[in-house]
Amino acid sequence: MNGDMADVRLVGVRKRFGGVVAVSDVSVDIARGTIFSLLGPSGCGKTTTLRLIAGFEQPDAGDVYIRGVRVTSTPPYRRDFSMVFQSYALFPHLTVAENVVFGLRMRRIARGERARSVDEALELVKLGALADRYPRQLSGGQQQRVALARAIVVKPAVLLLDEPLGALDKMLREEMQVELRSLQQRLGITAVFVTHDQEEALTLSDRVAVMRDGVIEQIGAPRDIYDRPRNAFVASFLGASNFVEGNIVAREAGVNVVETPAGRVTVRADRPIGERVRIAVRPERLRLDPIDGEGIPARIRDVLYRGPVTHFYMDSAAGPLIAYRQDARAGEWSIGDRVHCAWDADGAVVLDEAPAKRAASGEVTR
Amino acid sequence: MTAKYGWFLLAPPLATVCVLFVVPVVYLFWVSLHAPSTSELYAASLTLHNYVDLLRDSFYLTIIGRTLGVAAVILGLCLVIGYPVAYFVAVLPPRRRMLALLLLLFPLMVSNVVRAYGWVALLERQGVVNTTLRDLRWIDAPLDLLYTPSAVVVALMTILLPYMVISIANTLAALDRRYEEAAQALGASPLRTFVHVTLPLSTPGIASGTLLVFLLTLSAYVTITLLGGPRSKLLVSMIYDSVTAFQWPRAAALAFVLLALALVFTALIVALLRPGRVQGTAR
Repeated sequence: MNGDMADVRLVGVRKRFGGVVAVSDVSVDIARGTIFSLLGPSGCGKTTTLRLIAGFEQPDAGDVYIRGVRVTSTPPYRRDFSMVFQSYALFPHLTVAENVVFGLRMRRIARGERARSVDEALELVKLGALADRYPRQLSGGQQQRVALARAIVVKPAVLLLDEPLGALDKMLREEMQVELRSLQQRLGITAVFVTHDQEEALTLSDRVAVMRDGVIEQIGAPRDIYDRPRNAFVASFLGASNFVEGNIVAREAGVNVVETPAGRVTVRADRPIGERVRIAVRPERLRLDPIDGEGIPARIRDVLYRGPVTHFYMDSAAGPLIAYRQDARAGEWSIGDRVHCAWDADGAVVLDEAPAKRAASGEVTR
Repeated sequence: MTAKYGWFLLAPPLATVCVLFVVPVVYLFWVSLHAPSTSELYAASLTLHNYVDLLRDSFYLTIIGRTLGVAAVILGLCLVIGYPVAYFVAVLPPRRRMLALLLLLFPLMVSNVVRAYGWVALLERQGVVNTTLRDLRWIDAPLDLLYTPSAVVVALMTILLPYMVISIANTLAALDRRYEEAAQALGASPLRTFVHVTLPLSTPGIASGTLLVFLLTLSAYVTITLLGGPRSKLLVSMIYDSVTAFQWPRAAALAFVLLALALVFTALIVALLRPGRVQGTAR
């Protein structure tokens, strides 16, 4: 990526709290006008990374740049960003309009321009009618919009969002995801988004960084990291995955054939013959064929009807398997049925890490 | 729990408050509306003279003025000295904050009488301050420190300061630090963050501390008597003097003037600081 276009750049940033390493050697470039998500379980360092960009924490090593300016030792109030907090942190003693105008007052914008900008921002989040209310008089969703309006009205170089939708219920959260995305695209804002919700990260982001123990495990477009996870952690954090281990027995035109304890499967990869690999397959990529079909023979242990999809839990000689079928008809497959599980080479990916030398070679994570 | 049972449970304390507080106050007001008597608690005739005399007499007006002045100075000093201390205490880690608050409470464990005599020992003509200054040859004749409004102010202020510090510190400690971070994220310097966010959000603590200090100043007796002496009397001393002179109705009237001052000030603080407006959580 062209570094000149990066609105936020972290270079080798490290941060430890006491003996705990919160962020360890993180380097990222966040391109102008894109949403970048930091995704990971709690304690993975995603929020600390965000607070390092904001300047609420000082890195022990490395540098932070905003719009090409080194801000590593600049206090937060002199950095060009604004932030939406998980708890919103709306000032309870100020009305909605006063909350939104706060950043403009602090930036000493002229009074007339302030009023115009506040009206615009409140219009954007559809809260013009509530300008004179106090935060405590608003619903959670409305408070969330005020927090958003307060952050975008100052037209920051980068908008930081710390799990901003975490406090909303599922319906409202999905609605706000769509709204946030369209708002960001209309305004061309650069945003860094912290979340532990993989669906949210996939929905909202142009690029996602999956973090674990202070380290970025993988960075890429949502489809990249979902379809081509580098390791088992990324694969399982972004949803369920089937893991199968075996030895490569054939290599042809970018496709490897892997010999597993249950039979031969294919994967799009170009590894040398004889290498032991672990491959991951998404449950929706798994086909269920009748017993005389191709693939791994398995036996259905459990069927879970989930509305739009049906989950099939199976046991095979290569370990447990899980498949999601959208088009499963009632009674087509039932518990105890013998099936063959197959997938296209494009649906499988070889993981970077070498598989552990264990007797039981397969596992399913949810 | 139904409302019926609720009332049942409330009845004993309500009755106690009625018998021990409301009835005596009403009776006291009744007393204040009568002429004095030499043999009875009050004479038979109803009159407003007790109040009219108080408000016409420049002697009493001076004392009311002095009382309010002393209270205002003590309040101002407690706010100016107390707020920074409270801020310092509030940002300590919880265990150390507990310890600091206990240390602040420690002086309150020593009787006011003992502490007042301590000030006497310091401030009297042959006291520690005067002898030290004379030994240093900074003064020739001893200063009149004791029995002045200043002595009352200093002594009462040191007694009441912990109330102010603890009130404000509790509010500040409970304040979500995210508010300050949100202000800084919007470009507010530490000073402007304090002025526009921290200070307004600490008004509940300021209001309760202010009321405690002011009301306790109005009702203080031991300290003002021992350190104010006969020349710097305040309203409470006049009530005592009237009682000892068997001027029950005037004592009662003075008591109601004091009560009125307290009520007016409380209303003023609540209207001015509006502590209720900042209550509510970040969510």
